[in-house]
Parts: sequence; structure tokens; C-alpha cells
Amino acid sequence: MIAPTHPMQLVVGLILWSVWFVALYGGLSVGCAVAPPAEELGAANWLNLSLLVLTAVTLLPLLYWTRLCWRAGLSSQPGSTDRFIALVSSGVHLITAIATLAIGLTVLTLPPCV
Amino acid sequence: MTEPGPRSAEQIHREFHQVWRNLPGLGTLSAVNHTSLGLRFMVTGAIFFLIGGLLAMLVRTQLALPEQDIISPDLYNQIFTMHGTVMMFLFAIPILEGLAIYLIPKMIGARDLAFPRITSLGYYCYLFGGLIIFSSLVLGMAPDSGWFMYTPLSSAEFAPGPGSDFWLLGVTFVEISAVAAGVELTVSILRSRTNGMSLRQMPIYCWYILAMALMIVFGFPPLILASILLELERAAGMPFFEVAGGGDPILWQHLFWLFGHPEVYIIFLPAAGIVSTLIPVFSGRPIVGYRWIVLSIILTGFISFGLWVHHMFTVGIPQLAQAFFSVASMLVAVPTGIQLFAWLATLWTGRVVFNLPMLWIVGFLIIFVCGGLTGVMLALVPFNWQVHDTHFVVAHMHYVLVGGMFFPLIAGFYYWLPHFSGRMPSDVLGRWGFWLTFIGFNTTFLLMHLTGLLGMPRRVYTYEAGLGWDWLNLLSSVGGFIMAAGVAMIIVDVLLHFRFGRKAPQNPWNADTLDWATATPPTTYNFASLPTCSTRHPLWENPELPRTIEQGEHGLTEISHGRRETWGSEAVTGKVTAIFHLPTNSWLPLCAAASLAVVCISLLVRVYELSIVGAVLAAVFLLRWSWENGAHPAMAPPSAEESTRDLPLHSRTHDGPGLWGMVITLMANGALYMSLLFAWFYLWTVSPEWSIPDQQPLLMLPLLASGILLTVSALDFRRITRHLKAGRDSGLQAAFWRIALIGTLHVGLLIWVIAGSSLAPTELAHDAVLLFMLIYQLFHSGLAVILTALQARRVHYGYVSRHYPYEPVVVAPFWLYTTGVFWLGFAAFILLPMSWGGAA
Amino acid sequence: MFTLVFTSLLLAACSGPYSTLDPAGPSATSAAWLWWGMFGFATVVLIVITLLWLYAMRRDPGEVDQRDAQRVQNRWVIGGGVVLPLASITLLLAFGIPAGHNMLPLPLEDGEPARIEVTGHQWWWEVHYPDTGVTLRNEIRMPAGVPVDFVVRSEDVIHSFWIPRLGGKLDMIPGHTGVLRLQADEPGTYHGQCAEFCGVAHAHMRFTVEALPPEEFQAWLEAQQDD
Repeated sequence: MIAPTHPMQLVVGLILWSVWFVALYGGLSVGCAVAPPAEELGAANWLNLSLLVLTAVTLLPLLYWTRLCWRAGLSSQPGSTDRFIALVSSGVHLITAIATLAIGLTVLTLPPCV
Repeated sequence: MTEPGPRSAEQIHREFHQVWRNLPGLGTLSAVNHTSLGLRFMVTGAIFFLIGGLLAMLVRTQLALPEQDIISPDLYNQIFTMHGTVMMFLFAIPILEGLAIYLIPKMIGARDLAFPRITSLGYYCYLFGGLIIFSSLVLGMAPDSGWFMYTPLSSAEFAPGPGSDFWLLGVTFVEISAVAAGVELTVSILRSRTNGMSLRQMPIYCWYILAMALMIVFGFPPLILASILLELERAAGMPFFEVAGGGDPILWQHLFWLFGHPEVYIIFLPAAGIVSTLIPVFSGRPIVGYRWIVLSIILTGFISFGLWVHHMFTVGIPQLAQAFFSVASMLVAVPTGIQLFAWLATLWTGRVVFNLPMLWIVGFLIIFVCGGLTGVMLALVPFNWQVHDTHFVVAHMHYVLVGGMFFPLIAGFYYWLPHFSGRMPSDVLGRWGFWLTFIGFNTTFLLMHLTGLLGMPRRVYTYEAGLGWDWLNLLSSVGGFIMAAGVAMIIVDVLLHFRFGRKAPQNPWNADTLDWATATPPTTYNFASLPTCSTRHPLWENPELPRTIEQGEHGLTEISHGRRETWGSEAVTGKVTAIFHLPTNSWLPLCAAASLAVVCISLLVRVYELSIVGAVLAAVFLLRWSWENGAHPAMAPPSAEESTRDLPLHSRTHDGPGLWGMVITLMANGALYMSLLFAWFYLWTVSPEWSIPDQQPLLMLPLLASGILLTVSALDFRRITRHLKAGRDSGLQAAFWRIALIGTLHVGLLIWVIAGSSLAPTELAHDAVLLFMLIYQLFHSGLAVILTALQARRVHYGYVSRHYPYEPVVVAPFWLYTTGVFWLGFAAFILLPMSWGGAA
Repeated sequence: MFTLVFTSLLLAACSGPYSTLDPAGPSATSAAWLWWGMFGFATVVLIVITLLWLYAMRRDPGEVDQRDAQRVQNRWVIGGGVVLPLASITLLLAFGIPAGHNMLPLPLEDGEPARIEVTGHQWWWEVHYPDTGVTLRNEIRMPAGVPVDFVVRSEDVIHSFWIPRLGGKLDMIPGHTGVLRLQADEPGTYHGQCAEFCGVAHAHMRFTVEALPPEEFQAWLEAQQDD
């Protein structure tokens, strides 16, 4: 587990985001190549649902890290590098979580393979 | 040897200059100094800008009136392709890199970048690559498929001439330069900051450049790979992008934009860094929301890698997938908005001096916000389908790039002009230059949005009268010439200022960062003594710094040893842990780059024997370069004086910049390999006529055996390195020879696998990818063996031992990478396909 | 009076044979509406931000202590940098996603849409009506008032099929087949062109579209078959 004041915190959430994004796009493409759901189902099908679950699972660590870093930042000494890293990381994690949510929610609106 | 008594500032300067100066006359070509090379990058970039601008004028002349035939369609296609190529690859990126190369050491209180010879290699690769690309235009055989070179229009069938080859080889050459700069800027920013400058005290510009450098490291390899693959298809007939052979032209688009979109932010971030540097200085207060800005830089760096498909909304990808990229594209507005409003808050709370650089910043704001807003519009898929590939996109792109890059660049240029020359620019001419450029630009491109909405596609060499496009095009052309007049005015201003500009006082703008603590123009060594810095605004808190630095009142003033030195520090805290000794003037980078240019040109004219000669020569020069390192007499031979100092030289430690440079380079290399894996999986799932051979074309047993030998070598190397770090070096030379021998066996087996396989790389994309993967592996394995053998020789000469454990530590990650890539490749290219029912 | 003159000028400036702002089908109409909405919103944002900047540069801040700066930061950075973009994106998607959804070639509630196959060549268009043997060159005839699926392919390099007044474009890519649904609301003549750069004669790669009342179209198709 990476400490909330470790500089890797600045990027670890976004690395997770990148992996999620690749999985989302890759999963959709492979899903459509292998077993495309029927067009009539619209957005209610196994593929969209799996992508939604994937998104939800990705959100958990991002939100957890947001909180972890925020608390660590507030309890660090003002003006210290630890505080700086923890607070910036917390913000990065939060906005990453928002980005994950915003991109992930589109699976509710469109059929997957058209 | 220490001097008796304190030295005067002049004496210090003389002694330092003796060590740090470039060689006189033609010898200046061997310079490795970041100030000289940064300026050369910028001047070369500016010349290419003028060439690119001239091409734009030709385009606007041709389009001024309908149905003109001033320029033939064939030539027109060359011109617009070259305009885009020159502006993107030969102007925007290099000039921003040049500025960073010039400024970064000065801002972080260092005397040079971490790898000065790489700076020089990067410059020559850029210069030669640029000349090769440009020569195609002079020869009348320039690339003519557009600057993103979509296949199959750029492939051998539809572009049989050498134009595409010029592009592919030349641009790849220039990209080597960019990646080199990316690696060395990253390492320099992280490891050579002055004492006490922790991450949170770095000037904000350094954060921007750090992000830019890392984005280059990850963003350029996809295009390098794509260019190599397309050149292989054109020259050797390997059908990576050809449908009939199982390839897919869309793969090119993915790889190109995987580079191409991050590239827009690679250009924007350093320019935004200039804005974030200038605004606090001219507001007379620290920037508001430093942490917010760092946050948005990091976010931009990542999210911009998730947008590439928005250039491909009309290729027929499922709309849900498009929606992912659409929303991601819009989300980039968040970090951009944060910066915009942090700048606003800084102006709001400061007392603003509205001078020439600030005028350009205001111009930037208006144009860039407009470009950003049309960018959000383009991210909306149903609207994008209408305006994609029209002049609306041309207008948007110029708003973003000229607004987001050119205007801040000129602002920064005026700001640092006194630093470059020691003289102040003229306010009157400068203002004329601004207004002409600003008015000309908006006349050209604001109207162009409407031209696009009225349906004019991009890249047409002419158009019929009466479609509603006539008056718009005419006004756009008039605007283009007004803008050209503005640029001319800036050039006149700069040229005149060298002669008539009044002398700049020390720190003329009352700036806060250490770059203004040097002399203007700067000395070759930047700082006679290196100050401890524990604030974001050293010059505001201690205006005396320039004087005390010059008088040698701070650290690292020893020079009698004759080495170029700067501090090496911890990445996070900035606490000094070692002394980096840096190489002096060297001809090796020029020779290596010239040999690579020979390779490039001989590939162009298809004299492959000569290209082998060039490659061997380049290898010789580069290995000689690696030889002159560490305790080698040309670098830092052992001396009595070093034991009397508080800090060790970095080549005596096992955590020097070389290790960091190796790891970052391997990240770039890994990004290339990931792109290859992407290509493989992409073709496997999407390519319309993908087919696999009936039988597994590779010899499995030798391949497995080869992998085991490789693993043994790598683990052995790792073990030896650990011993070395723990201070044990008995039998070191024999151990390196042993590893080299086992490695050679591995290479031998690998060659057998390649030679004995039944691959048909010119018929099947499947086999072409496999062959490429094997040759990639062979290159790495061979290099690892050579480097290890060299280490064994260096042990013999006493350059490597437990006192000098530095180099094996640098080579160790390369062995691990080579092994990792082998097994990853084995899993992805052989095992996984078997499980899908591929050839077994 | 002024409004009338202004509007008619605007309409005149927006019309044209290839104008996306002179829509003649549902897809083009919704894209045009999206444009006008975004244009209005973006103009307001641009003007407000520019005025704020110019004001910020001229105003006298007085004495600003750390706490004031923090307050200004929170107001501008969180309000302008985070909330404003997110709200704008939400608004945009609320209109954009349904608009995009309606452009998709999804199955119709009743019946099948007409299908017309178009193949791009350097530098002409081959138009084919499936199951009829009817082939045209650089000319398309389609029924008006009903959705038509254009099945697009390419014979050589990448082209892009675009009839601006009817709707968005779709690339024609060698080895791939794309389906673009368009509808002409009224009978009439429309114009199309290649949007993806495809070589020397790219600028001349155009075609005309004749939208006929459905019965007339059917009669024409049958007459062609008989020939």
C-alpha cells in the first residue's frame, strides 16, 4: 500500500484510470467482436452492465484514496512537502473519480455496438 | 588544491569559464552546453517557422479566389502537407524543447542538464531530420498525403514516389531528438535541483516541463512504431496496414492519434507554463492556487491520452465507444478551466503591469478560450460528424495551436529576450507586431469557422465560385497576409533590438525565479556558486542573490579539478546527496547523429549496404560515448581531492542520474512495445481479412531454451549488481564475461529461431508482426550482451569496481527489461493466440 | 424591422448548396440546432471571461492578505474551473446524446429503410441499388421523406461520404463497410462531396442527390430495372 504522502499518489489514481479506460474501450470492442448483444435491447444488455460494474469497482479505490490523502494532508504540518503531496493527490483522485463516473455513465444511454 | 584566500568574482568567472566554455571557431559544433544548444534549438525552430509560414502564404494565395490555378493540385498537396509537418514537428515541439533546455537548469539552480551530450545529440538529430524533410520540398518530391499520412493514401500503391519515405524517416529522426530531450529534462528536473528545492518549491514552469517531458516519453513511441511499420510496408512489403494481407488502415489512425492527441498537449503545456510564469511576475504576487495548477497539469497529462479517438469519430466506431472519448475530451476542460481561473485569480489579487508580454498573454487568452470552446463543440459526436474534415476544424486547430502555443511563446520570448541578449526590446514596434498578428489571425481564422459550416472541406486545392465560400476565403487570405506582416514586425523588432535596445538591468521585470539570478546574457556555467533554495520566490525574498552567487558565497565553488559539476539531489525533498560531474565538449554526438543521417538517407535512396555501414558507425560512436564515462580519464578519473569533499561524485554512488535516465528510456521503450501489443490485438480482433498460418511458424523448443538462457543471464546480472552495491567485487570481471557468454548463446538461439522459422512476412500481417517482435527482441538481447562485455572490459581497466558501482547499476534494468519483454511477448504472441485457437 | 433585415441577412449568409446551416433532413437539422445552441453559449462564455480578465487586470486589489487570496482562489478556481465546465458538459450531453442516438441506423419500428450502396473510387462515386442491378455514377436518387441507409465502402483509399444538408459524414474505408442513415425531408436536388483527403482530384470528387417522392422513386427504379 502506498503511503498517502508518497509522491506516487500523484499518479497512481490516474494510472488506475488509464487501465480502466483501456479495459472499458477494449472490453467494448472485444465484446462487440465476439458476442454483440441484440440492437433492440438498447442499453440494457450484458455488455453495458459489465462495463458499468467495472466502472463502479474502479470508483471504490479512487474515492478511498481521495479520503485517505485528504485526511493525511490536513494532519500534516502546514507548509510541508508531505502536506503538499497529500492534498494535491487527494484533488487528483477526486477529479479522476468524477471523470470515471462521467465517462462510465454513458453506458446507460447508448447501445453498445452500433 | 584550494586557492589561498577568497577569490574575486572576476577570478572565479575566469576559472569557471575556462572549464565551461565551448571550443572556439568550428569547435563550437562540439558544444554540449545547454544555453548554447537551447538557443540553437530555438533559432532553428524559428527558421522552420518562417518556412512553414511561407508555405501557409502559398496556400492562402491559392485559395484567395475560386477556381484559381496558380498552384497545381499536386504541388498544393505537397505544400499543405509540408506546412503541417514543418509547423508541428520542426517548429512547435523543438522550439518549446529549446526554451525548456535553455531555462530548466537556470530555474532549478543547476549549471547544466543531467546529460549534456544527449542535448547535443538531440539537436543534431533534429537539425539533420529537419533538413532531410525540408530537402524533399526543394527536390519537388515532398510528401503529399497530409501531415497525418493516412494509409493507404501514403502507402506504396498510392504514393509510389519517395515523398512518404522522406516523411517517415525524417520525422522518426526528429522524434528521436524529442524523446532524448524528454528523458533528460525529466531526469534533470527530478535529480539536479539546487539544495533544498523540494517539489513544492519548484517554479511552476518546471512542473509543466516535467509533465511535457513525460508525455513525450509515452506519447511519441506510438508514432515511432507506426512510422517504422509503414516504412517496412513500403520498403519490404510487410502488410501491416494493407487489407489484402490481413492488415488494417485504421490501425495507422489509432497509432497516429495515440501520439497526435497527447502531442497537442505536449505543445500546450509548456506554453501554459510560460503563462503561469509571467502572470505572477507582472501581477507582483505569487500565483494563486499553485497546488490547483499542479493538479491540473497532472490531470491534463493523463486525460489527454484518453482522447485520441475524437479525431476518428467518422470512421464508424460504435457510438458508445465514441461517447467515452467524447466525454473524456470534454473533461479536459476541467484542468484547463482550473488554470484559466487560477490565472484570473492571480490578476484579480495583484497589481498588474500591462506591458508588451502581458499584451501577448491577453491575446493568448482570447484566442485560446475561443479554440477551447470550439474544441468542446467538436467533442460532441453528432456535431462533429458535420464539421469533421472541414475548414471548421482547420480554424479550431489554429485557434488552439496559435492561441495556445504561438501567443504565449512570443510573450515568453519578449520576457526572456533581455536574458538572451542583455538588451530590452522596443515597445512601439512590439505593439505593432502584436496588433497586426492578432487582427490578422482573427480575420483569417474566425471567418474560417463559417467557411467550414458552409461545407468547405479541408485540403481542397480550389473550389467553385458561388457556393458562398468566395468572400470568406478572400478575407481569410487578406487576414493571413496581415498576420504575416505582424510576424515580420516582430522579426524586425528583434533584429533591431540587438543593435539599438537599451541595456537590460539585472532582473528587469523583478521576477522571482532563479533564472534571473544569472548574468544577462548568461555565463556558460550559469551560477558561480549554487544557492540553497527553500522558497518558491528566491529573488523576491533575497534580491541580493545574483550578487552573492556571482561572488561565490554559496556552494560548489571548487573548480581547480577542471571538471564541470553541478549538484545532484533527492527527487522529492531536493536535499543534495551527490555531485554530478558532467562531460565537457564532445564531437561524439555530432558523429553519431551524422552516422544516423547516413542511415536515414541511404534508406531513402534504398542503398541498403550503405545504411548498414552508417548503423555500424553510429553504434561505434555511441559505444565510444558510453566508454568515456565514470572513472575514465576523459571524465572523472580517481583523484585525491575528491576524498576531501563532503559529497561523493555521482559515478562513485549507485543512484546516479544514469539509472534514472535508463529507467525513463525504458519507459519510452516500453510504450513502443505496448503499441506493438496494441497493434497485434487490434489486428487480431478488428482487421477485416486477418488470417493466421495453419502451422505455428516458430521453432518452439529453441525459443523456450533461448528464453531460459536470457532469464539466467538477467538474474545473474542482478545478483552481481547486488553484490557490488553491498561492496563485494571479487570475480567481477569473470562474472560479466560469464553473463555475456550465456547471453551470446541466447542470441544465437534467437537467430536460429528467426532463420529457421517458416514466417511469410510479406504475405501475412500476422507473420510480419511476429517477425518485427523477434527482431525487436534480438536487438535488445544483442545490446545487453555488448554492454555487459564492455562492463567486463571496464572492470579490467579499473573503471568499474566496488568503488565505482555506478555503471552495472545502470545496465541492470536493461537486462530485466529485455527479459520481461521476452516473456511478455511469449505470452501475448504465442501462448494467448494458442488459447484462441490460433496456430499451435 | 432591423431584426427582419438581420435575420434575412443571416439566412442568406448561411445558405448554400453544401451548407450545414441550411439543413434539409432530421440529422442535419439537429446538428444545426446543436451548433446554434453551442454558439450562443460559447459566445457568452468568451465575452464574460474576457471582460473578467480585463477588469481583473485594471482593478486595484487594495491590500490582499493570505486569507483574501484564499477566498478569491476558492471562488474562481472551484466555481470557474470545476463547476462551470462540469455544468456545461452535463448540459451539452443532455442535448447531444439523444441527438446522436437519433442519428444511429437502428432498426425502425415499422418496416425496413431503403438501402443504397455507395463505393468510393479515386475520384468518383459508384452508386448501386441492391437487388436491382441498377448502378449510377456520381449521382444518387433517393426517396424523400423516409430514412435511407447508405452502405459505404471504398475501392482504393479512404474517402468520406458527405451530403452536408442532409447530415453528417461517414468515412469509406478499404476493407470496412459503414452504414449511414440519412433522410431528405423534401424532394429536391442536394449536393454531396468527398470530405476525406484522397489525392490529386479530391477537390473535384462530388456528386448530386435527387430526392424524389417515394412513389416516383419506386417508379424510376422499376423503369431502370426494365432497361
